[in-house]
Amino acid sequence: MLRTNADQLVEIAAVGQLSQPSFRRPEYIPDNDGHARVLPGMHGMLYNIRVGDPAFFWAGDHVEPGASIAHKNLENDFALHYLTCIGNRAVVTSGEAKGAEGVVTGEHARILVDFDPEVGEFLCPGDSIQIRAKGRGLMLSDYPHIQLKKCSPELIESLPLEAVNDFKIRVPVTMELPIEAMGSGAELNSEYVDQDLMTGDKALMAELGLDQMRLGDLVAIRNADHRYGRSYRTSAVSIALCIHGDSVMTGHGPGILTLMTCEEDAIEWQIDKDANIANYLNIRELV
Amino acid sequence: MNVTTNSDKLVSLSVMGQIATPSFPGLPAEPYRLASDGTPFLLPTYGSIVYNVSVGDSAFGWLADCIHPSVSINLADDNGNRGLRVLSCIGNTAVVMSGDAKGSKGVVTGKSGRFSEHVIVHFPKAVREKMAIGDKIVVRAKGIGMQLAEHEDIYLKGCSPELLESLKPQGKEGKLEIPVVASVPPHLLGAGAGLDSEGGSVHIQTTDKTEVQKAGLDKLKLGDIVALENYDSRYSHGFLRGAVSIGVIGQGDSPRAGYGPGITVFMTSGEGGIVPKITEGVNLKSLLKLEA
Repeated sequence: MLRTNADQLVEIAAVGQLSQPSFRRPEYIPDNDGHARVLPGMHGMLYNIRVGDPAFFWAGDHVEPGASIAHKNLENDFALHYLTCIGNRAVVTSGEAKGAEGVVTGEHARILVDFDPEVGEFLCPGDSIQIRAKGRGLMLSDYPHIQLKKCSPELIESLPLEAVNDFKIRVPVTMELPIEAMGSGAELNSEYVDQDLMTGDKALMAELGLDQMRLGDLVAIRNADHRYGRSYRTSAVSIALCIHGDSVMTGHGPGILTLMTCEEDAIEWQIDKDANIANYLNIRELV
Repeated sequence: MNVTTNSDKLVSLSVMGQIATPSFPGLPAEPYRLASDGTPFLLPTYGSIVYNVSVGDSAFGWLADCIHPSVSINLADDNGNRGLRVLSCIGNTAVVMSGDAKGSKGVVTGKSGRFSEHVIVHFPKAVREKMAIGDKIVVRAKGIGMQLAEHEDIYLKGCSPELLESLKPQGKEGKLEIPVVASVPPHLLGAGAGLDSEGGSVHIQTTDKTEVQKAGLDKLKLGDIVALENYDSRYSHGFLRGAVSIGVIGQGDSPRAGYGPGITVFMTSGEGGIVPKITEGVNLKSLLKLEA
């Protein structure tokens, strides 16, 4: 295991409430061919979609696995976004499911928390879910040139990371994504949410096998510098996590959240079909 | 031009904006933004009256973040601003309706995207001297609804009949040839992907200067017409092999990751029905005869 500074990290509570699904008026979104579509997927508790399930396939848009939580006050919501890390523990603190524990599996416009399916049945929009946030400041002690983003110590400890040499590490991923197909989210700083893989070119998705992606998969992007925003830089590498499902909208698709990034070629990867956080964080058996 | 349009049927209407007030975040007074290498910077950015940067000048080299040449207008009311951004077309005439520059005329040269959402209007430098932030400017909007009879795959987006004519597009074997100064490869297209293609911009990302130079984009000027390779802008912006979009460099370079000169897309084909023809000097300044 690679050395980290995990013993120096502060563990702090942040809170959000289970969100209520909502639509803009009119409810339609245009798909890649300009057809008007109405699709569910964001907000609320998705009863039948969890980390480990396919990212494509669903008759939904931007499906957010598990429970999607947010805080109504904008600045409190940003605190929830900036403090929460993947793999953090979550506890329901109000409502019928009070006391149930879950685990953070993603950050979209809301924080995504996985619960056992039977817990979901007791959750109601508005119920408070508190995160034991820990991970901000985390570093790989011997690889300070590799930035970690939103990695909890539990996530880093669970990954089979290997030291290649004094400069490079090796990470398992399920696939490599082409940077020319990285889209929506380029306008945001990389400390906030994800960047979508653009899936309008369905033939390309099939050719490269990208349509086999699952929610929770680790992926690699070559020439992607995600340190202070998301941009093309030759020889940079980013390792990311698939946090939400595909979309019918042009410039959109599965959400890719940065976990590790470096300016120079300091991360290698090996393809491993089991490289999914459902597996690493013992959330569920992969199908 | 050997294409047939329905421009005789287009509706022409007034849509107003006001010269935009510059803004920065408030207390605790941390005005810095981050460059792509993480260094903080504090520079002028979009909005307001820019006295010394105009269409025809370089898109690079200014000590600024996505600077809009000449004058930026918007409306405080969100829906009204949306009307302004969607209906204003590149090449439309804008008229100053209040203040000391009342009666002066300008030309729409660009639109900016998420977080700024302005319409960019060229006015001669002498007019800018007389203008005040908040002055009312009416765009005589015309162009939305325009179609090309022989090219059903081509969608026009905020393109005025005047701009289309000035480009002298040539229909050849079912495709349309458009002169451009350069073609932007999809891996250098950043912010704007997945966002609105009816009133915003897509940015060339300039973090990797060598790649920008290799693609021949480092000498671009504000107002230059460019092609976007493998880029589909029919219903928001995104990567699609074979698609081609055409746009104008509306705003300047940026130190931020994912950003650089902004492109206002005004024409797109999802099926490669547009053939960009690399031609020197295709710029709004000469196409629309902008007064210095």
